[in-house]
Amino acid sequence: MNPILQLRGISKSFPGVKALEGVDFDLRAGEVHALCGENGAGKSTLMNILTGNLEPDAGQVLLDSLAVEISGPAEASRLGIAIVYQQLSVINTLSVAENIFANRQPRGKLGFIWYSQLYAQTQALLDKLQLRHIRPQSLVGELSPGQRQMVEIAKALAQDPRILILDEPTASITRQETDTLFAIIQQLKDDGKGIVYISHRLNEIFTIADRVTVLKDGRYQTTRPVADVTANDLIRLMVGRDIEFARTASSRTGEPLLTVRNLTGGRFADISFTLHRGEILGLAGLVGAGRTEIARAIFGIDTLISGEVYVHNKLCAIRHPADAVTAGIGYVPEERKTQGVFLNMSVMENVLAADLPAAQTGGWYGIGKARQLAERFRAQLRMATPSVMQRAGLLSGGNQQKAVLARWLLANPDVLIVDEPTHGIDVGAKAEIHTLLRGLAAEGKGILLISSELPELLALADRILVIRQGTLAGELVGDTATEETIMALAANA
Amino acid sequence: MLNQILRDRVYTLTLTTLLLCLVSAAVFPATFPTFENFRQLLLNLSIDAIVAVGMMLLLIAGVFDLSVGSVVAFAGGLSAHLMVYYDVPVPVAMLMGLGSAVLIGWINGYLIAYQGINPLIQTLAMMGIVRGGALMVAGAGIQNLPYWYNAIGQSKLLGVQMPVWYMGLVVAAFTFLVNRTVFFRRYYYIGGNEQAAELSGIRVRRMKLYAFMLSATLAGVAGLLLTSRLGAALSTLGRGMELRVITAVILGGASLTGGVGKIPGALLGALFMGLVANIMVIARVSGYWQEIILGLILIIAVWIDLALQRRSAGRQGLARKFSNKPSPEGVGVDQ
Repeated sequence: MNPILQLRGISKSFPGVKALEGVDFDLRAGEVHALCGENGAGKSTLMNILTGNLEPDAGQVLLDSLAVEISGPAEASRLGIAIVYQQLSVINTLSVAENIFANRQPRGKLGFIWYSQLYAQTQALLDKLQLRHIRPQSLVGELSPGQRQMVEIAKALAQDPRILILDEPTASITRQETDTLFAIIQQLKDDGKGIVYISHRLNEIFTIADRVTVLKDGRYQTTRPVADVTANDLIRLMVGRDIEFARTASSRTGEPLLTVRNLTGGRFADISFTLHRGEILGLAGLVGAGRTEIARAIFGIDTLISGEVYVHNKLCAIRHPADAVTAGIGYVPEERKTQGVFLNMSVMENVLAADLPAAQTGGWYGIGKARQLAERFRAQLRMATPSVMQRAGLLSGGNQQKAVLARWLLANPDVLIVDEPTHGIDVGAKAEIHTLLRGLAAEGKGILLISSELPELLALADRILVIRQGTLAGELVGDTATEETIMALAANA
Repeated sequence: MLNQILRDRVYTLTLTTLLLCLVSAAVFPATFPTFENFRQLLLNLSIDAIVAVGMMLLLIAGVFDLSVGSVVAFAGGLSAHLMVYYDVPVPVAMLMGLGSAVLIGWINGYLIAYQGINPLIQTLAMMGIVRGGALMVAGAGIQNLPYWYNAIGQSKLLGVQMPVWYMGLVVAAFTFLVNRTVFFRRYYYIGGNEQAAELSGIRVRRMKLYAFMLSATLAGVAGLLLTSRLGAALSTLGRGMELRVITAVILGGASLTGGVGKIPGALLGALFMGLVANIMVIARVSGYWQEIILGLILIIAVWIDLALQRRSAGRQGLARKFSNKPSPEGVGVDQ
């Protein structure tokens, strides 16, 4: 059978990153084709090209063997391609019907919205998807996350696409809802639609997919019928690469700096571990496994349901980041632009944010002292900026991250939590940040490193804790830690 | 470099103000550049400027307060009420007036910072509530205030009325504090990026609460000064002041998104507005035009600022921030 969709030799680069390199992919009518790969393998980039959000640098998209150019989401939807994004795009304050028929509500003769028709059409669609418990008039904000996901899917299907892309559709839904979703996918398959299914969860791929394509570091690995591969094969294809970063020497000691016991929060439960002086402790897991939530709870941003945090063996009641800073904990957040950097403020002010009193002389803040401190860290971290008075927003991502790290070097906490510290940063700056983190550990700090980049974890971490769906799935030390063992624990394969 | 100076509103506004003074002095040599005129000009804007200092602080932190005008009337009215009808000693009555202002600031700050009520809604509601309170305490107006109370706002030092000196004191003190204390520096971080500030260990909610209390206290001070200067408490005092003060503060370099602004800008903004009004009176332009011209000046000032920002961003190669093309950071490099 001829494929309805073919991607040939797709390449796409971003500054400092080759996101895709010569990727091939094809989709037949009536099949579910799974796309899998690690975080950063290029799955989302590929789908963004297919939906016209991104333009490929090279390569061709063919629909029914005809080359097409997809200039934007509107064009993609005209060509019959619909996508359900990982992040929900529904509007909580509007009804289910208004979400599904956003901007194309049925209109009456005078051009006003014809509500009875709108609700009837929505009801028909919901019936077809066997979503009888969702009313067209309900506000989306009142639905469960899973129901919202279903509305999202209904919205994609309302345009009657031939090709449906599902990006991690089960990330936020329950097992039961997953079953409903799979039933819908089966039905769509029988209707002859082509479905691209992106998921980290290997067992889902084996349940629902007909074929699977693996990407690794933006490169095409293979396409096989699901029946011909095992979970271990897939993991080996997804990871197993040349070592990018040399493993660094450990400076771990036996002295505990940070101990957490039975931490339970909204999205994780019963997490216990100890971080020692001089140690880099890695937290591995899939995106959404709860690693960031654990870090946020330790740092006092989110409230804990139960559990204890000890710093230097002393029980600490941390209810606010300020308490954490006082206790000797620092945090470099994952979302650099929204939570880390003060984009409109100078590099100097960014460096001083966590320890403004450092710029005091005799109790008065002085810009001279502040500048001097900032200059010191600019030199130490080799920040590329014409002046420390430059707005941080004008710096590259790597240099912004250095400014955030400098903030904590100045505040000098014993424990530093770094969440995806090299996310979206070019290779050079990445290596510098790695050296910096290792240096901090050697100086006697404890570092909790959250990273989705396995080579980074393997190179830096003395021990690696793997988090799976909010629970501690296992601990890997020394040679037992490999990309394969981490992935096996993280994906429960 | 030039661009940086052009974008610092304290410089540009000082320059514009001086230029405006020179031109007016040349056009109206007999009436404009006189000691009497400037004394009157400064006296007229002194109350607004004191309130503007508090408002500047709020805008730096990324919030604002519409109830300040009502607080001016209430604080002044309450102290006048207490001293005239209950013979409360002047200092005690003044402290109670100020205390009421602090309390109003606390309520605003608590409900906004800790309970998450939108500042516009909270302070708009409070503006009405407190205005009602002012009507209750001041009624149809309270006159015959004690001599010592009136002396506060009516006496002169070196030929200049006291409110002008108080204004100078408040502006100078807050300029120094905001530049030189860790406590006040934090407001720039809060306005610059609230989340990042919180994650840097700044207690954002508490700091916001303090800012509302401080701003309300300054409005209370302004209320006492105003009633003492007029020798009477009226329930209509400070009506429309909130928008006038916000206009002055924005002219003076603040932004509704927070993180920017300097205390002298509050004074400069008020001075500039006072100057424009003054010149128009001297030029015998109809009062209607004042509002129109001030409105136009505000729009033009903000517009020029945006244009300068765009120009410098474009030069730095960040133009994509303003275009609709998805940026590489925005779309799935990480998946």
